Amino acid sequence: MNVIRGFATTLKYLFQQPATIQYPDEERPPRERYKGRHALKRYDNGLEKCIGCSLCAAACPADAIWVEAAENTDEERYSPGERYAKTYEINMLRCIFCGYCEDACPTEAIVLEHEHRLSFTNRRDAIYTKAELLDPPPAGLEGTPRQTEPGVYTRSIPEMKNPA
Amino acid sequence: MLKDKYADRIEKIFAKYADKRSAVMSLLYLAQEEYGYVTEDACAEIAALIGTDPTQVRSIAGFYTMFREEPKGRYWLQVCTDLPCALRGADKFYEELLQELGIEDGGTTPDGMFTVEHVMCLAACDRAPMLQCNFHYHEHLDMDTMRALIAQWRAEAGVLAEAAAVGDAPAE
Amino acid sequence: MTTTVTIHIDGVPYAVPDGMNLVDAARIYAGVEIPIFCYHPKMKPVGMCRMCLVDLGFEVRDRATGELALNPDGTPQVRWGRKLETGCTTTVRAGMYVRTRTEQVQEARRDVLEFLLSSHPLDCPVCDKGGECPLQNLTMRHGPGTSRMAYDDKLHLDKHVPLGDLIYLDRERCIQCARCVRFQDEVVGDDVLAFHERGRRLQIITTSTPGFDTYFSGNTTDICPVGALTTADFRFGARPWELTNVPSISPHGPVGENIALSMRLDRDSGGVQVIKRVIPRQNEDVNEIWISDKTRFGHHFTLSPDRLREALARKRGELTPVALDDALKAAAKALKEAGNSVGFIGGPMTSNEDFFALRELAAHVGSRKLGLWPATLGDAAPAAEVGIASGSRLTELGKGDAVLVVASDLEEEAPIWFLQAKQAADRGAALIVANLRETKLDRYASRTVRYGLGGAVGFLDGAASDETLAQAANLVVFVGNEGLGADEHGVLLRAAANLLITTGHAGRRNNGLIPVWPGANTQGGFDLGFESAATRAMLQSAPDVLIVVGADVAETPAGAAALDAAKFVIALSLFPDATTAKADVVLPIQSFAERDGTFTNAMRRVQRFYTAQGPVGESLPAWQVIGLLGQRLGMDRPRRSAALVMKALAESVKLYAGMSYPALAEAAVQTPPIGISPGFYGGTAAAPTGGTGLQWPSKAESRAKLSVTPVEAPQAVHAGAGELVIVPLRRLYDRAPEFFASAVMHGRIPQPFVALHPSDAARLGAVDGGRVKLSAGGASLDVTAVVDATAPEGLALLPQRLAPGAFPQEPVAGRVEPVAEAVAAD
Repeated sequence: MNVIRGFATTLKYLFQQPATIQYPDEERPPRERYKGRHALKRYDNGLEKCIGCSLCAAACPADAIWVEAAENTDEERYSPGERYAKTYEINMLRCIFCGYCEDACPTEAIVLEHEHRLSFTNRRDAIYTKAELLDPPPAGLEGTPRQTEPGVYTRSIPEMKNPA
Repeated sequence: MLKDKYADRIEKIFAKYADKRSAVMSLLYLAQEEYGYVTEDACAEIAALIGTDPTQVRSIAGFYTMFREEPKGRYWLQVCTDLPCALRGADKFYEELLQELGIEDGGTTPDGMFTVEHVMCLAACDRAPMLQCNFHYHEHLDMDTMRALIAQWRAEAGVLAEAAAVGDAPAE
Repeated sequence: MTTTVTIHIDGVPYAVPDGMNLVDAARIYAGVEIPIFCYHPKMKPVGMCRMCLVDLGFEVRDRATGELALNPDGTPQVRWGRKLETGCTTTVRAGMYVRTRTEQVQEARRDVLEFLLSSHPLDCPVCDKGGECPLQNLTMRHGPGTSRMAYDDKLHLDKHVPLGDLIYLDRERCIQCARCVRFQDEVVGDDVLAFHERGRRLQIITTSTPGFDTYFSGNTTDICPVGALTTADFRFGARPWELTNVPSISPHGPVGENIALSMRLDRDSGGVQVIKRVIPRQNEDVNEIWISDKTRFGHHFTLSPDRLREALARKRGELTPVALDDALKAAAKALKEAGNSVGFIGGPMTSNEDFFALRELAAHVGSRKLGLWPATLGDAAPAAEVGIASGSRLTELGKGDAVLVVASDLEEEAPIWFLQAKQAADRGAALIVANLRETKLDRYASRTVRYGLGGAVGFLDGAASDETLAQAANLVVFVGNEGLGADEHGVLLRAAANLLITTGHAGRRNNGLIPVWPGANTQGGFDLGFESAATRAMLQSAPDVLIVVGADVAETPAGAAALDAAKFVIALSLFPDATTAKADVVLPIQSFAERDGTFTNAMRRVQRFYTAQGPVGESLPAWQVIGLLGQRLGMDRPRRSAALVMKALAESVKLYAGMSYPALAEAAVQTPPIGISPGFYGGTAAAPTGGTGLQWPSKAESRAKLSVTPVEAPQAVHAGAGELVIVPLRRLYDRAPEFFASAVMHGRIPQPFVALHPSDAARLGAVDGGRVKLSAGGASLDVTAVVDATAPEGLALLPQRLAPGAFPQEPVAGRVEPVAEAVAAD
């Protein structure tokens, strides 16, 4: 009897869509909250959100993030505030994709996106630099650094919504 | 230089105080009278006279509202908009006054006649709305009396300007 | 002695000194932290921030009988104040009751913080102070969780206001505690900061030229309880929690300021540890919690691209890079040939370990030519006899005491002692300043003495009859060498010793002589048997081989001549300079930041510094290079660590007995504790980890019999017809490579100049700002003339190490001639 039930199951699946997908040729869309490779975001005007505060590095349990900050000038502006990340590196071999960096970020600059195809052939390549992590500027807008009008960006952190 | 031009007056001012540093307020008034406002150079001059750092003189000029640190209009109108005055309509009066003269808060009319700014308590709460014009109080104001005052000042200034044009301006 | 009284804090009785500040007393004796922003134990309380509100009460006494009124249960009745009072402006007295934890007090703290934060920008993520910020810490501890103020209603002020080129002000972050203003006024005396406007718009301003004109500006960033003041050097350099503080000692000047080097990895420097900032390390015996801007910003030389990175040897007349072994081989060969005709000259940053290694090498080759650079110093024996007694604190000098400063511009030569002398005068000590020209310390002096060239000894010799000095409870004498020849300097030190002995001040705590030496370890050099006089002898007749360690001997004409006269010159140096250019073998050595070592300050305190960064190039510590050289001459191989060198040193040098590295690493208790780890008083000064050093006792302290040696002033330099006496001065900011490598300071380093009295300038035809040529002793310099009414007539005051080129470092008769401007002014 059990034998018949077993064959019946096999027979049933023979006529169903296979669950397996042919990965390199086919891809499953990642879940909304999937945590893949980090991306450094930009504002709509194309300036970087990251202010180089290093809080992501402080929050990182794997010590995978390295940030060095510098000061913006109107001649060479990266972010709207006073400070930007001069160096921003994440060691993907160390990263455990916990997303604490995302939680710690005061400007929502770092986001774990859906990119999961991370492979390297040596350890040095596993260190993603700022150029690799940074999103491209919105279409039609100039990237960073750029020259800006004096007196426009005078806040240390760009104005944000009332947190209350 | 104040030191050369007003040597007598400075000497008299110093005679009033035991410590030279105490004379700073009187000297600031003198500088304001001479230059129209307290200039950076005036601070340095006074600092040298009383033997302190120019920063300290600048600090005192900045603390007291009766010293101007930038050029102002001929009539310097300071309207009190603190709470008691505001309760008696001073803030509305202030808005209307700005509208009347067509300037922003703290601005000067294009003809250089009036500078209007709002200030903290001038100790005349019971007579609000009120303002201080070149250190003289004008109380119980409304826009009608104000318009009359403005007209009067404009006329006075016209007289002064004409007098200045013929070369014998009455002393202010 | 002050009497002790009993006060009750939160119901517990404590015995505290009568009249002590309540905040300090609670902190030190009861371990109770009354939160503060504006109060600082180094300054007078002002009660501006209201953070220290406490509930204050007094026990009730019966007016008629004076008996304590008791509650029914037998406890004393306490009459509590109707309102809270500020702890920082309260001094303790008998019968005082303090409550610091009542709901009322906690509410007051919450309200004060809510108010302070109402205009604070809350930009902690980008703030340099974020992470070590008293406002952050106290808000976390005592503040409200939320604010009733609308975030969008915050007042916005300028965020990037340069106060001069070193300090930036963020006007929004300022909480108006006035610590910086009070520091400049009370501690430094340069009152170049002040408040402007009032109320919410109150802000710090400076109108001095150059902005924030003082040698101590960096300290305001330390004591600022928020991130309102930041240094141009460190701005956005690192977050505080990423920094490792390595204890160290300032390599600039004789004070031996205790510092901590804040280290962090740096991508631009190739991923190595670099000094991100220098902060003071508390040592109440030395620099309290202050450091000069030279110490704070003068650290960039350690990673300067100009540093020597490899050994050089002369091949076919040219200095060429060679392997260290080859350079050592060449040097050893020359040493073997020279026999005992070998001279050694150690410079101002040479550590005790280096001096000891030199001494061992000298003993091995049989040479006694141990020289100290500069060659302009007298004999240090008087300082060893009656040097300031162990455990003395300049901070304890006050009413009834006297401080005498002779032949020194303390502000330029030892800025921290300038602060301490100034503050002693503020506390009521008699401050007598004697010099041949006006110096800044004159402002605070109770008496100034002006003598002519060669008159210093005469003045000091007669000073014993001065009542102020003779009757002073304590007497501290600073002796410099401004305007003095080497011999005269030695005699002047002796005269100072005579003064201390005849007035009975020698050997007592808070009394004695402080020689204002030029270098961080000049005292250590003297202690190990190196002498300036020996250098002068070597300059007269050069030995066959000259080993120069960290000294730019070629900066004087005599030195340059001696280098030429010596057959072989081995230079151990940080930088290529005029001396290495004349050397046959150049060996790179490590700076104070790359190695362990000890410096002895001019108060004879031996202090340790620690390895903070990796070595530059192939450089080694000087003691190791000397040891390797010795090994090639048949000595044992060099010791394996600086600790072992110091151990051997402590065993063979009597003065340094017991001064092993572990002993030097012990930290004395600091009261009040201001360093970061207690963290209470707020501010970025490091705790005294790494040791506060040990002082060796002067001869006078061991009750040895001291005798007065009569002195006679040597003949002063005389200017011939048409000549002036050119007097070299030491200036804090100079162009020596150890300081000039700090680009942030360039705006403050003057152009090479000479100060002339108006009448001399008129006679010579020199105009203010015009170029003049100085020539003396076969050397000449091209500098700018500054006509200065405070310059004495007949003298040309020449700050050293500003103009390139060799020039005598002692007063010398010379010519000052205007130079015709080659280019028309356009």
